[in-house]
Amino acid sequence: MAAPEWASEEEHNAACYVYGIVPGDVESTPDARGLGDRPVTVVRHGEIAALVSEIHPDDAIGTPQDLKAHDELLNATVIEAPVLPLRFGAVMTTPEAVAEELLAPHHDQFLAALEELEGRAEYIVKGRYVERAVLTELLAENDEAARLREEIGDTTEDATRDVRMRLGEIIQQGLAAKRDADTDRFMQALSPHSVATAVREPTHEQDAVHVALLVETARRSDFEDALDGLARGWEERIDLRLRGPLAPYDFVVKPN
Amino acid sequence: MTTAIQAAGGGGGGGRPSGGGLADVIDTILDKGLVIDAFVRVSLVGIEVLTIDVRVVVASVDTYLRFAEAANRLDLAKTGGVGLPDLVGGMQQSGAKKKTKGAAQGVLDAAGEKLRDFIGDPDDDEEEPAPRRKRRRVEES
Repeated sequence: MAAPEWASEEEHNAACYVYGIVPGDVESTPDARGLGDRPVTVVRHGEIAALVSEIHPDDAIGTPQDLKAHDELLNATVIEAPVLPLRFGAVMTTPEAVAEELLAPHHDQFLAALEELEGRAEYIVKGRYVERAVLTELLAENDEAARLREEIGDTTEDATRDVRMRLGEIIQQGLAAKRDADTDRFMQALSPHSVATAVREPTHEQDAVHVALLVETARRSDFEDALDGLARGWEERIDLRLRGPLAPYDFVVKPN
Repeated sequence: MTTAIQAAGGGGGGGRPSGGGLADVIDTILDKGLVIDAFVRVSLVGIEVLTIDVRVVVASVDTYLRFAEAANRLDLAKTGGVGLPDLVGGMQQSGAKKKTKGAAQGVLDAAGEKLRDFIGDPDDDEEEPAPRRKRRRVEES
Protein backbone atom coordinates (compact mmCIF):
# COMPACT_ATOMS: atom_id res chain seq x y z
CA MET A 1 0.00 0.00 0.00
CA ALA A 2 1.40 3.35 -0.94
CA ALA A 3 -0.37 6.50 0.07
CA PRO A 4 0.06 9.34 -2.36
CA GLU A 5 1.59 12.60 -1.28
CA TRP A 6 -1.43 14.05 0.39
CA ALA A 7 -2.61 16.96 2.42
CA SER A 8 -0.35 19.92 2.25
CA GLU A 9 -0.23 21.79 5.56
CA GLU A 10 -3.04 24.13 4.79
CA GLU A 11 -5.23 21.23 3.75
CA HIS A 12 -4.70 18.61 6.41
CA ASN A 13 -8.40 18.63 6.96
CA ALA A 14 -9.00 17.21 3.52
CA ALA A 15 -11.01 14.08 2.95
CA CYS A 16 -10.74 11.68 0.08
CA TYR A 17 -13.11 11.57 -2.87
CA VAL A 18 -13.11 8.13 -4.51
CA TYR A 19 -13.85 7.74 -8.22
CA GLY A 20 -13.38 4.09 -8.88
CA ILE A 21 -11.32 0.97 -8.48
CA VAL A 22 -8.69 -0.08 -10.98
CA PRO A 23 -5.93 -2.67 -11.32
CA GLY A 24 -2.87 -1.92 -9.19
CA ASP A 25 -0.64 -1.17 -12.15
CA VAL A 26 -2.65 1.88 -13.16
CA GLU A 27 -0.96 5.22 -12.69
CA SER A 28 -2.45 8.65 -12.80
CA THR A 29 -0.88 11.06 -15.24
CA PRO A 30 0.09 14.47 -13.86
CA ASP A 31 -2.63 16.19 -15.84
CA ALA A 32 -5.44 13.99 -14.54
CA ARG A 33 -7.91 16.26 -12.76
CA GLY A 34 -10.94 15.51 -10.67
CA LEU A 35 -13.55 17.43 -8.72
CA GLY A 36 -12.55 21.03 -8.09
CA ASP A 37 -9.80 20.60 -10.66
CA ARG A 38 -7.74 18.78 -8.08
CA PRO A 39 -5.09 16.29 -9.11
CA VAL A 40 -6.13 12.66 -9.17
CA THR A 41 -3.91 10.26 -7.32
CA VAL A 42 -3.82 6.51 -6.83
CA VAL A 43 -4.16 4.60 -3.56
CA ARG A 44 -2.87 1.05 -3.95
CA HIS A 45 -3.42 -2.11 -2.04
CA GLY A 46 -2.17 -5.46 -3.30
CA GLU A 47 -3.13 -5.84 -6.92
CA ILE A 48 -5.84 -3.19 -6.96
CA ALA A 49 -6.01 0.56 -6.51
CA ALA A 50 -8.46 3.40 -6.10
CA LEU A 51 -8.52 6.67 -8.01
CA VAL A 52 -8.94 9.50 -5.51
CA SER A 53 -8.57 13.22 -5.06
CA GLU A 54 -8.71 15.59 -2.11
CA ILE A 55 -11.95 17.17 -1.12
CA HIS A 56 -12.95 19.39 1.77
CA PRO A 57 -15.55 17.66 3.88
CA ASP A 58 -17.51 20.88 4.24
CA ASP A 59 -17.86 21.42 0.52
CA ALA A 60 -21.12 20.55 -1.14
CA ILE A 61 -20.67 18.78 -4.43
CA GLY A 62 -22.90 18.16 -7.39
CA THR A 63 -22.33 21.07 -9.74
CA PRO A 64 -22.30 20.26 -13.45
CA GLN A 65 -18.52 20.58 -13.36
CA ASP A 66 -18.32 18.07 -10.50
CA LEU A 67 -20.49 15.57 -12.31
CA LYS A 68 -18.54 15.92 -15.51
CA ALA A 69 -15.23 15.62 -13.72
CA HIS A 70 -16.29 12.31 -12.18
CA ASP A 71 -17.69 10.99 -15.43
CA GLU A 72 -14.85 12.10 -17.65
CA LEU A 73 -12.13 10.75 -15.43
CA LEU A 74 -13.68 7.30 -15.33
CA ASN A 75 -14.51 7.27 -19.01
CA ALA A 76 -10.94 8.24 -19.83
CA THR A 77 -9.74 5.48 -17.55
CA VAL A 78 -11.76 2.73 -19.20
CA ILE A 79 -9.91 3.34 -22.46
CA GLU A 80 -6.70 2.33 -20.73
CA ALA A 81 -7.73 -0.14 -18.10
CA PRO A 82 -10.76 -1.82 -16.56
CA VAL A 83 -12.44 0.21 -13.84
CA LEU A 84 -15.17 -0.34 -11.30
CA PRO A 85 -16.94 3.03 -11.21
CA LEU A 86 -18.30 4.26 -7.90
CA ARG A 87 -21.52 6.15 -7.82
CA PHE A 88 -21.00 9.90 -7.61
CA GLY A 89 -20.40 11.22 -4.13
CA ALA A 90 -18.26 8.61 -2.40
CA VAL A 91 -16.01 10.27 0.17
CA MET A 92 -13.81 8.65 2.81
CA THR A 93 -11.76 10.22 5.55
CA THR A 94 -8.20 9.48 4.38
CA PRO A 95 -6.22 7.57 1.75
CA GLU A 96 -5.31 5.10 4.48
CA ALA A 97 -8.98 4.45 5.09
CA VAL A 98 -9.51 3.85 1.39
CA ALA A 99 -6.75 1.26 1.39
CA GLU A 100 -7.67 -0.40 4.65
CA GLU A 101 -11.43 -0.29 4.58
CA LEU A 102 -12.35 -0.27 0.94
CA LEU A 103 -9.57 -2.05 -0.92
CA ALA A 104 -8.18 -4.55 1.56
CA PRO A 105 -11.41 -6.25 2.71
CA HIS A 106 -12.73 -6.62 -0.84
CA HIS A 107 -9.44 -7.14 -2.63
CA ASP A 108 -10.14 -10.51 -4.23
CA GLN A 109 -13.66 -9.66 -5.19
CA PHE A 110 -12.70 -6.39 -6.83
CA LEU A 111 -9.74 -8.02 -8.55
CA ALA A 112 -11.95 -10.76 -9.99
CA ALA A 113 -14.43 -8.19 -11.23
CA LEU A 114 -11.66 -6.15 -12.85
CA GLU A 115 -10.30 -9.24 -14.56
CA GLU A 116 -13.75 -9.97 -15.89
CA LEU A 117 -14.03 -6.43 -17.25
CA GLU A 118 -10.66 -6.49 -18.97
CA GLY A 119 -11.05 -5.52 -22.61
CA ARG A 120 -14.70 -4.55 -22.19
CA ALA A 121 -16.47 -1.24 -22.00
CA GLU A 122 -19.98 0.05 -21.65
CA TYR A 123 -21.95 1.71 -24.39
CA ILE A 124 -25.30 3.38 -24.01
CA VAL A 125 -27.72 3.60 -26.87
CA LYS A 126 -30.62 5.97 -26.65
CA GLY A 127 -33.29 6.16 -29.31
CA ARG A 128 -35.88 8.88 -29.52
CA TYR A 129 -38.97 8.62 -31.69
CA VAL A 130 -39.31 11.21 -34.39
CA GLU A 131 -42.60 12.68 -33.31
CA ARG A 132 -44.07 13.22 -36.73
CA ALA A 133 -43.24 9.73 -37.92
CA VAL A 134 -44.42 7.92 -34.84
CA LEU A 135 -47.66 9.87 -34.56
CA THR A 136 -48.38 9.17 -38.20
CA GLU A 137 -47.84 5.47 -37.52
CA LEU A 138 -50.07 5.51 -34.49
CA LEU A 139 -52.89 7.26 -36.28
CA ALA A 140 -52.65 4.83 -39.16
CA GLU A 141 -52.75 1.84 -36.84
CA ASN A 142 -55.51 2.95 -34.55
CA ASP A 143 -58.92 3.79 -35.96
CA GLU A 144 -60.16 5.32 -32.75
CA ALA A 145 -57.18 7.65 -32.60
CA ALA A 146 -57.71 8.75 -36.18
CA ARG A 147 -61.38 9.36 -35.50
CA LEU A 148 -60.67 11.37 -32.33
CA ARG A 149 -58.20 13.46 -34.23
CA GLU A 150 -60.83 14.27 -36.81
CA GLU A 151 -63.20 15.15 -34.03
CA ILE A 152 -60.78 17.67 -32.54
CA GLY A 153 -60.32 19.46 -35.82
CA ASP A 154 -60.23 23.20 -35.27
CA THR A 155 -61.83 23.17 -31.85
CA THR A 156 -60.23 24.76 -28.84
CA GLU A 157 -58.62 22.77 -26.07
CA ASP A 158 -61.46 23.59 -23.71
CA ALA A 159 -64.15 22.53 -26.15
CA THR A 160 -62.72 19.08 -26.76
CA ARG A 161 -60.80 18.43 -23.62
CA ASP A 162 -62.19 14.95 -23.06
CA VAL A 163 -61.59 13.93 -26.63
CA ARG A 164 -58.05 15.24 -26.38
CA MET A 165 -57.43 13.39 -23.15
CA ARG A 166 -58.59 10.15 -24.71
CA LEU A 167 -56.47 10.68 -27.81
CA GLY A 168 -53.45 11.56 -25.70
CA GLU A 169 -53.95 8.45 -23.62
CA ILE A 170 -54.14 6.26 -26.70
CA ILE A 171 -50.98 7.83 -28.03
CA GLN A 172 -49.17 7.44 -24.73
CA GLN A 173 -50.14 3.76 -24.54
CA GLY A 174 -49.26 3.26 -28.17
CA LEU A 175 -45.82 4.75 -27.60
CA ALA A 176 -45.24 2.49 -24.63
CA ALA A 177 -46.17 -0.56 -26.73
CA LYS A 178 -43.90 0.57 -29.53
CA ARG A 179 -41.10 1.17 -27.06
CA ASP A 180 -41.41 -2.40 -25.80
CA ALA A 181 -41.50 -3.83 -29.30
CA ASP A 182 -38.62 -1.73 -30.56
CA THR A 183 -36.55 -2.46 -27.47
CA ASP A 184 -37.11 -6.17 -28.09
CA ARG A 185 -35.99 -5.78 -31.64
CA PHE A 186 -32.97 -3.80 -30.51
CA MET A 187 -32.00 -6.49 -28.03
CA GLN A 188 -32.32 -9.22 -30.63
CA ALA A 189 -30.04 -7.32 -32.96
CA LEU A 190 -27.43 -6.22 -30.44
CA SER A 191 -27.37 -8.90 -27.75
CA PRO A 192 -25.28 -11.25 -29.90
CA HIS A 193 -22.63 -8.54 -30.04
CA SER A 194 -22.62 -7.77 -26.33
CA VAL A 195 -21.32 -9.51 -23.25
CA ALA A 196 -24.24 -8.23 -21.20
CA THR A 197 -27.10 -5.81 -21.58
CA ALA A 198 -29.25 -3.76 -19.23
CA VAL A 199 -32.44 -2.06 -20.31
CA ARG A 200 -32.69 1.36 -18.73
CA GLU A 201 -35.80 3.23 -17.78
CA PRO A 202 -36.97 5.72 -20.37
CA THR A 203 -36.06 9.29 -19.49
CA HIS A 204 -38.40 10.93 -21.93
CA GLU A 205 -41.91 10.12 -23.05
CA GLN A 206 -40.72 9.73 -26.62
CA ASP A 207 -37.83 7.43 -25.82
CA ALA A 208 -37.82 4.40 -28.09
CA VAL A 209 -34.89 2.50 -26.63
CA HIS A 210 -32.54 3.14 -23.73
CA VAL A 211 -30.11 0.32 -23.25
CA ALA A 212 -26.66 -0.10 -21.72
CA LEU A 213 -24.43 -2.73 -23.32
CA LEU A 214 -21.15 -4.22 -22.21
CA VAL A 215 -19.09 -4.75 -25.33
CA GLU A 216 -15.87 -6.62 -25.99
CA THR A 217 -13.52 -3.93 -27.29
CA ALA A 218 -12.10 -6.34 -29.82
CA ARG A 219 -15.61 -6.90 -31.21
CA ARG A 220 -16.58 -3.29 -31.33
CA SER A 221 -16.79 -3.10 -35.09
CA ASP A 222 -19.28 -6.00 -35.15
CA PHE A 223 -21.32 -4.15 -32.57
CA GLU A 224 -21.17 -0.96 -34.60
CA ASP A 225 -22.15 -2.78 -37.77
CA ALA A 226 -25.21 -4.24 -36.07
CA LEU A 227 -26.15 -0.86 -34.68
CA ASP A 228 -25.61 0.67 -38.07
CA GLY A 229 -27.99 -1.82 -39.65
CA LEU A 230 -30.62 -1.01 -37.08
CA ALA A 231 -30.17 2.72 -37.56
CA ARG A 232 -30.65 2.22 -41.28
CA GLY A 233 -33.96 0.45 -40.78
CA TRP A 234 -35.14 3.05 -38.31
CA GLU A 235 -34.07 6.11 -40.18
CA GLU A 236 -36.50 9.01 -39.93
CA ARG A 237 -38.47 7.04 -37.38
CA ILE A 238 -36.05 6.74 -34.45
CA ASP A 239 -32.99 8.88 -33.85
CA LEU A 240 -30.32 6.72 -32.30
CA ARG A 241 -27.51 8.12 -30.21
CA LEU A 242 -24.53 6.20 -28.97
CA ARG A 243 -22.35 7.06 -25.99
CA GLY A 244 -19.22 5.17 -25.23
CA PRO A 245 -16.89 3.68 -24.39
CA LEU A 246 -17.91 4.41 -20.83
CA ALA A 247 -16.98 3.01 -17.46
CA PRO A 248 -19.26 0.02 -16.84
CA TYR A 249 -21.67 1.78 -14.50
CA ASP A 250 -24.59 -0.44 -15.38
CA PHE A 251 -22.71 -3.67 -14.86
CA VAL A 252 -21.31 -3.36 -11.39
CA VAL A 253 -23.46 -4.27 -8.45
CA LYS A 254 -22.90 -4.29 -4.75
CA PRO A 255 -22.34 -7.55 -2.90
CA ASN A 256 -25.23 -9.88 -2.13
CA MET B 1 -19.85 -13.59 -6.01
CA THR B 2 -19.06 -11.29 -8.82
CA THR B 3 -19.12 -7.57 -8.63
CA ALA B 4 -19.36 -7.05 -12.33
CA ILE B 5 -21.07 -8.52 -15.37
CA GLN B 6 -24.45 -8.29 -13.90
CA ALA B 7 -27.04 -5.80 -14.78
CA ALA B 8 -27.63 -3.36 -12.02
CA GLY B 9 -31.32 -3.70 -12.66
CA GLY B 10 -34.12 -1.28 -12.38
CA GLY B 11 -32.54 2.06 -12.05
CA GLY B 12 -34.32 4.33 -9.69
CA GLY B 13 -36.93 5.78 -11.96
CA GLY B 14 -35.66 7.38 -15.08
CA GLY B 15 -35.13 11.04 -14.71
CA ARG B 16 -33.42 13.85 -16.39
CA PRO B 17 -32.14 17.15 -15.26
CA SER B 18 -33.72 20.36 -16.26
CA GLY B 19 -30.68 22.01 -17.64
CA GLY B 20 -27.49 21.58 -19.52
CA GLY B 21 -26.23 18.66 -21.52
CA LEU B 22 -25.80 16.67 -18.39
CA ALA B 23 -28.88 14.51 -18.71
CA ASP B 24 -27.02 11.41 -19.72
CA VAL B 25 -24.25 11.88 -17.21
CA ILE B 26 -26.67 12.34 -14.38
CA ASP B 27 -28.70 9.31 -15.37
CA THR B 28 -25.54 7.35 -15.08
CA ILE B 29 -23.33 8.54 -12.28
CA LEU B 30 -26.03 9.40 -9.77
CA ASP B 31 -28.00 6.28 -10.39
CA LYS B 32 -25.50 3.57 -11.32
CA GLY B 33 -22.11 2.42 -10.18
CA LEU B 34 -20.85 0.86 -6.99
CA VAL B 35 -22.25 2.36 -3.84
CA ILE B 36 -19.55 2.81 -1.28
CA ASP B 37 -21.91 2.39 1.66
CA ALA B 38 -22.15 -1.23 0.71
CA PHE B 39 -18.46 -1.65 1.34
CA VAL B 40 -17.45 0.74 4.06
CA ARG B 41 -19.11 2.52 6.89
CA VAL B 42 -16.53 3.58 9.43
CA SER B 43 -14.58 6.08 7.40
CA LEU B 44 -17.36 7.27 5.21
CA VAL B 45 -17.73 11.02 5.06
CA GLY B 46 -21.26 12.22 4.65
CA ILE B 47 -20.85 14.98 2.17
CA GLU B 48 -23.68 17.07 0.89
CA VAL B 49 -24.61 16.25 -2.64
CA LEU B 50 -26.57 19.09 -4.12
CA THR B 51 -30.05 18.08 -5.07
CA ILE B 52 -30.78 17.84 -8.70
CA ASP B 53 -34.09 18.41 -10.30
CA VAL B 54 -35.01 15.04 -11.70
CA ARG B 55 -38.19 14.70 -13.62
CA VAL B 56 -39.69 11.28 -13.66
CA VAL B 57 -41.52 10.16 -16.74
CA VAL B 58 -45.13 9.70 -15.85
CA ALA B 59 -48.26 9.85 -17.87
CA SER B 60 -49.88 13.11 -16.99
CA VAL B 61 -52.73 15.25 -18.12
CA ASP B 62 -50.22 17.61 -19.67
CA THR B 63 -48.62 14.76 -21.57
CA TYR B 64 -51.95 13.63 -22.93
CA LEU B 65 -52.94 17.09 -24.02
CA ARG B 66 -49.58 17.68 -25.61
CA PHE B 67 -49.77 14.43 -27.56
CA ALA B 68 -53.28 15.22 -28.71
CA GLU B 69 -52.23 18.65 -29.86
CA ALA B 70 -49.22 17.27 -31.67
CA ALA B 71 -51.41 14.71 -33.42
CA ASN B 72 -53.91 17.39 -34.28
CA ARG B 73 -51.22 19.62 -35.75
CA LEU B 74 -49.97 16.81 -37.95
CA ASP B 75 -50.71 17.67 -41.50
CA LEU B 76 -50.99 14.20 -42.87
CA ALA B 77 -51.38 15.40 -46.44
CA LYS B 78 -48.30 17.55 -46.33
CA THR B 79 -45.66 14.95 -46.94
CA GLY B 80 -44.22 16.20 -50.14
CA GLY B 81 -47.01 14.75 -52.23
CA VAL B 82 -46.72 11.37 -50.61
CA GLY B 83 -49.89 10.05 -49.02
CA LEU B 84 -50.08 8.44 -45.66
CA PRO B 85 -49.75 4.82 -46.80
CA ASP B 86 -46.76 5.69 -48.93
CA LEU B 87 -45.11 7.49 -46.12
CA VAL B 88 -45.52 4.62 -43.72
CA GLY B 89 -44.48 2.04 -46.26
CA GLY B 90 -41.59 4.05 -47.54
CA MET B 91 -39.94 4.28 -44.21
CA GLN B 92 -38.61 0.77 -44.30
CA GLN B 93 -38.03 0.65 -48.01
CA SER B 94 -36.69 2.67 -50.83
CA GLY B 95 -37.77 5.97 -49.40
CA ALA B 96 -35.06 5.78 -46.80
CA LYS B 97 -32.35 4.45 -49.03
CA LYS B 98 -30.82 7.67 -50.15
CA LYS B 99 -30.39 9.14 -46.77
CA THR B 100 -29.45 5.96 -45.02
CA LYS B 101 -25.79 6.81 -45.25
CA GLY B 102 -26.35 9.89 -43.20
CA ALA B 103 -27.97 8.32 -40.20
CA ALA B 104 -25.85 5.25 -40.31
CA GLN B 105 -22.73 7.28 -40.60
CA GLY B 106 -23.82 9.41 -37.72
CA VAL B 107 -23.93 6.43 -35.45
CA LEU B 108 -20.55 5.26 -36.57
CA ASP B 109 -19.00 8.65 -36.14
CA ALA B 110 -20.22 8.70 -32.61
CA ALA B 111 -18.63 5.40 -31.95
CA GLY B 112 -15.43 6.36 -33.62
CA GLU B 113 -14.02 9.82 -33.50
CA LYS B 114 -16.34 11.52 -31.09
CA LEU B 115 -16.25 9.03 -28.30
CA ARG B 116 -18.28 10.01 -25.33
CA ASP B 117 -19.57 13.10 -27.04
CA PHE B 118 -23.25 13.39 -27.47
CA ILE B 119 -24.31 13.54 -31.04
CA GLY B 120 -26.97 15.91 -32.06
CA ASP B 121 -30.47 15.18 -30.98
CA PRO B 122 -32.76 17.73 -32.53
CA ASP B 123 -35.64 16.90 -30.24
CA ASP B 124 -33.59 17.14 -27.13
CA ASP B 125 -34.00 20.66 -25.93
CA GLU B 126 -31.89 20.03 -22.87
CA GLU B 127 -28.89 19.14 -24.95
CA GLU B 128 -25.94 21.44 -25.21
CA PRO B 129 -22.95 21.05 -27.48
CA ALA B 130 -20.82 18.06 -26.72
CA PRO B 131 -18.40 18.70 -23.93
CA ARG B 132 -14.89 18.97 -25.21
CA ARG B 133 -13.11 16.43 -23.23
CA LYS B 134 -9.59 17.23 -22.31
CA ARG B 135 -7.86 13.95 -22.48
CA ARG B 136 -6.87 12.84 -19.05
CA ARG B 137 -5.26 9.56 -19.33
CA VAL B 138 -4.83 7.15 -16.58
CA GLU B 139 -2.29 4.86 -18.00
CA GLU B 140 -1.17 1.44 -17.19
CA SER B 141 2.41 1.52 -16.15
